[in-house]
Amino acid sequence: MTLGMLAVLAAEGGGGGPFSVNPGLILWTWVVFLIFLFFFRKTFWVTIVSRAEEREKTIAGQLAQAEQMNAEARKLLDEQKKATAEARSAAQTLLAEAKAAADKERALSHEKAKQEQEALMERARRDIAAERDKAVADLRREAVDLALGAAAKVVGQRLDADADRKIVLDYLAKVETSH
Amino acid sequence: MTETQGEGINIGEIVLHHTSDAYAIDFEPFGTISWHKWPDVHLGSLTLNLTPTKHVVFMILAAVLVLLVMWITKRGLIKQRAHQQAPTGFPGFMEQIVLWVRDDIAIANIGESGKKFAPFIVALFFFVLFMNLLGLLPWGATATGNLAVTGALALMVFVVVEIGGFLKLGPKGYLGTIFPHFEGVGGVGGAVLTVAMAPIEILSKLVKPFALAVRLFGNMTAGHFVVLSLAGIILFFGNWLIGIPTAVVIALIYLLETLVAGLQAYVFALLASTFIGLMQTEHH
Repeated sequence: MTLGMLAVLAAEGGGGGPFSVNPGLILWTWVVFLIFLFFFRKTFWVTIVSRAEEREKTIAGQLAQAEQMNAEARKLLDEQKKATAEARSAAQTLLAEAKAAADKERALSHEKAKQEQEALMERARRDIAAERDKAVADLRREAVDLALGAAAKVVGQRLDADADRKIVLDYLAKVETSH
Repeated sequence: MTETQGEGINIGEIVLHHTSDAYAIDFEPFGTISWHKWPDVHLGSLTLNLTPTKHVVFMILAAVLVLLVMWITKRGLIKQRAHQQAPTGFPGFMEQIVLWVRDDIAIANIGESGKKFAPFIVALFFFVLFMNLLGLLPWGATATGNLAVTGALALMVFVVVEIGGFLKLGPKGYLGTIFPHFEGVGGVGGAVLTVAMAPIEILSKLVKPFALAVRLFGNMTAGHFVVLSLAGIILFFGNWLIGIPTAVVIALIYLLETLVAGLQAYVFALLASTFIGLMQTEHH
């Protein structure tokens, strides 16, 4: 087989065997390729590649813009977060202050109420005592009058009011001290 | 070879017939289109024959097909842009490939001046890719399976590398790529070293396009040799038992060849970019 191949190869000679080099073909290759390159470059390169480059540039620009916007958004977000944190801390401070004020106010009003209550109680106590004293005096006078009235009825004569009264009162005083 | 089997079948002839260049295109079993060879042209001692061959036809076809595909892409892209649409479908796919070759092959390997060379690299990639793929079609021929074609392309890359380097580095810098100056080695020793290195530097410049040409040619030809040899085995034995497994192997190798067609176009563009890039950033 190999021998057969070599024989054919030898027979082909300059007529275009796979290992022979035809100088005419070299020229043809150059001419065809150069014409092809000329048309390819002139007609298609600009449309296919330059427009793609333009698109690449646009996309790169948009990407850069998006990145910048992202950075700005992030910055704004950070600022917002910071502002929120500050607001929260301020609110907490205010709340604490308000709470303290309320506590103080409550304690004050409590104290005031207590004092008022005590004053009221005191006055009530005084009033009660005065009323009681007055009632006791009235009762005593009434009792003397009744006793005298009854004694007069018993004796059957009118007694000297002032002198009797003094006797009864003295007696009553004696009774009160003996009790 | 036994006389009972495969009588009259010469696998070598099948392989060489289908991979060789010719002044005809086979459409077997429908016939063959052939044309006359033009007379030779003599340029001094050089004898040239400018008759277009089968490979020239397929090379032109590849170029026309690339331009057609690019035209469809361009139309699609313009239409999509008019509707404020992002590129989608086939135009979007092609645009991505063009941009990939430009960015990841040309600019990535050449560096900052990559944009200038990008149209050349992209054109080279598609030209080689379509030539490779045309060879996989029925009745097709692989122009890149011809050493003259790959050699011409490699020579062109060589010229681009050298002229690009000359323009970038200036005459003095460019001469430095042939006569390198070694830091810290001065005097007569340095001069001797510089002169001694010149042949190696020149050889290194020439080896690059040579490698480029032989790599593409070898890869494209080898795959076809394997497929055609296996096809020849089927014909040679004329036996189902051997024919069916061989056909399966051929189908698998064909798939591999499709991959290789793309891969070799990529490698060619990548190496061309690397060589241009090496020269652009050279500083001896």
